[in-house]
Amino acid sequence: MIFKIAWRNIWRSKIRSFTVMASVLVGVWALIFVLSFTAGFINSYISSAIENEISHIQVHHPKFMDEKEVQYTLKNTTSIVDNISKNAMVKAFSTRIINSGMLATARGSRGIQIRGINPQEEANLTRLNEKLTEGVYLDATKSRNALLVSRRLADKMKLKLKSKPVLSLQKEDGTSISAAFKVVGIYELGNALFEETNVFVRQSDLSRLMEGEHNTHEVALLLNNMEDLDTVKNGLAATFPETLVQNYKEISPNVNLYESQMGGSTYVIIFIVMLALIFGIINTMLMAVLERTKELGMLMAIGMKRGQVFSMIVVETVFLAMISAPIGLLLGFLTVSYYSSNGFDLSAYGKGMEKFGFSDQVYLSLDVSSFITVTVAVAITAVLASLYPAFKATRLKPVDAMSTV
Amino acid sequence: MDKVIKVQGVTKTYNPDTIPVHALRGVNLEIEPGEFTALVGPSGSGKTTLLNAIGGLDTPTGGSITIRGQDIAKLSDSAMIEFRKQYIGFVFQAYNLIPVLTAKENVEFVMLLQGKSQEERATRVKELLKAVGLEDQIDRRPAQLSGGQQQRVAVARALASKPMFILADEPTANLDSKSTANLLDIMAKLNKEENITFLFSTHDQRVIDRARRIVTLEDGQIISDETIAS
Ligand SMILES: Nc1ncnc2c1ncn2[C@@H]1O[C@H](COP(=O)(O)OP(=O)(O)OP(=O)(O)O)[C@@H](O)[C@H]1O
Ligand SMILES: [Mg+2]
Repeated sequence: MIFKIAWRNIWRSKIRSFTVMASVLVGVWALIFVLSFTAGFINSYISSAIENEISHIQVHHPKFMDEKEVQYTLKNTTSIVDNISKNAMVKAFSTRIINSGMLATARGSRGIQIRGINPQEEANLTRLNEKLTEGVYLDATKSRNALLVSRRLADKMKLKLKSKPVLSLQKEDGTSISAAFKVVGIYELGNALFEETNVFVRQSDLSRLMEGEHNTHEVALLLNNMEDLDTVKNGLAATFPETLVQNYKEISPNVNLYESQMGGSTYVIIFIVMLALIFGIINTMLMAVLERTKELGMLMAIGMKRGQVFSMIVVETVFLAMISAPIGLLLGFLTVSYYSSNGFDLSAYGKGMEKFGFSDQVYLSLDVSSFITVTVAVAITAVLASLYPAFKATRLKPVDAMSTV
Repeated sequence: MDKVIKVQGVTKTYNPDTIPVHALRGVNLEIEPGEFTALVGPSGSGKTTLLNAIGGLDTPTGGSITIRGQDIAKLSDSAMIEFRKQYIGFVFQAYNLIPVLTAKENVEFVMLLQGKSQEERATRVKELLKAVGLEDQIDRRPAQLSGGQQQRVAVARALASKPMFILADEPTANLDSKSTANLLDIMAKLNKEENITFLFSTHDQRVIDRARRIVTLEDGQIISDETIAS
């Protein structure tokens, strides 16, 4: 009966109830949107970082990641490649020679990383061949010492197709060697930091110039299924104990940071929205209680215990939230569904974002857990917000009911 | 122990610290089972104050109120609510019914608070609403009933908990004369046939005429107490 009374009480003051319901609805919707947006934003950053740069797993000489010295090569690239290519969980891989060198033109010179790749492998792994805005990929030209530079670097160094900058690179004996390379293609990935410091050349050209045993520095691999990450990583680490096998989070501290920060900032946002809702609800429910002073007094006079009056107000508030929250969830779901396939266009606000590897189209990420989080948060909010008005209601005196209008 | 209500030297002072109002100045009153008593007196004489004190809705400043042998001042706040639920029925002048419940549900509510079974509630609700002549309106909400009908529902509700007595503060104040007569008929009938004790305050001469005992208050004191020979 308390539920029945509470339920019907909601419909007594429609405007007030709708105010509460509307704010819960908007709050729920906003939370869903913000959570999905953040998740989508971070996910797109992470997936583009994985896709373009880091892949899922990388294998290096244990010292290479710290010092990037040319001599820290993988001594057994062939057997690693052999092992990886037999692993069904691996989708694609690429071996790279990485040489920290210089690129010089008539305009000046700058330090860069020269990535000696096997064009076919790299195309399979990072689809670098599809990311050219001009020119051709390394496997489509016969010219010796072919070079791919980014649009940004090309602009900075005034390079065009067919330009011939000089690359200086280190040899394993500590000496360095320079050679002219010809720009055959210009690529664009969407991450300025990477683009300004990385150029691609053929592995065969590099090893010829370096004259050493052309072992590679890096093997990067992409998995069919993210869930196999630990399995594959641990398997490789066990088979090749003399190497360092790392997953994408270990390789890119940024990715790791964003993934873990997503949780933190999410809770801050939830907290703020909850706080706003709580004050709104307290205010309206308090009005509802004060308006019914006499009626509540009468209820206590005829034998309703204070605890029952208390729960009646709590139930009323929770009902209001229970009606509106699902609508908010549904609207949130629809909004997120739409933007998860169409992308939310940030280009008007976020021209600068690209610099840091964020794309300006955010595909909202629909996550069941954020729906659960929001539902729980709203339930807690409603109960918390009802406590004070409910307490106020129990403080009313039954004698008030006796006094005439 | 045949007294239902025993009021001894009860005083009530409102605002004792600021502008004291002595609403009751030593009231002694005993009500026996089956009485049909009217509490009369000019406005401000203390009728409401006395009824509130007897109903345990407000605490007197001095004196004691004993109901079926229990000094109600000794009851805790929640024990008092429990006590009221069990022994005392109320009919107020206004704000009597729960507006969101139907006549039937209003009557049932008290029994629900008492934890009565579904069958017991259903039978008794029918019985009571029939007794007050509202068997055709059981599914109406208070707003769809006239003032007189609402007061009859209130009487039915007050009876639902099978109280020892019913306190009614000016139950007919908002009613026209036809409804007043009707309500009084029902109260008198319940009093006669089911021996239910009524104590009600009123200004209305027609109501006073129906009472079998008339207690007159003036300035917080009982100035006359007459029993009408029947
Ligand atoms: N809450 C209160 N605070 C202060 N004074 C009060 C309060 N309630 C009643 N009084 C005063 O106590 C006195 C008795 O009031 P009470 O309401 O008991 O009179 P009453 O006989 O019921 O009058 P009426 O016939 O107008 O209903 C009056 O002087 C009134 O002003
Ligand atoms: Mg009065």
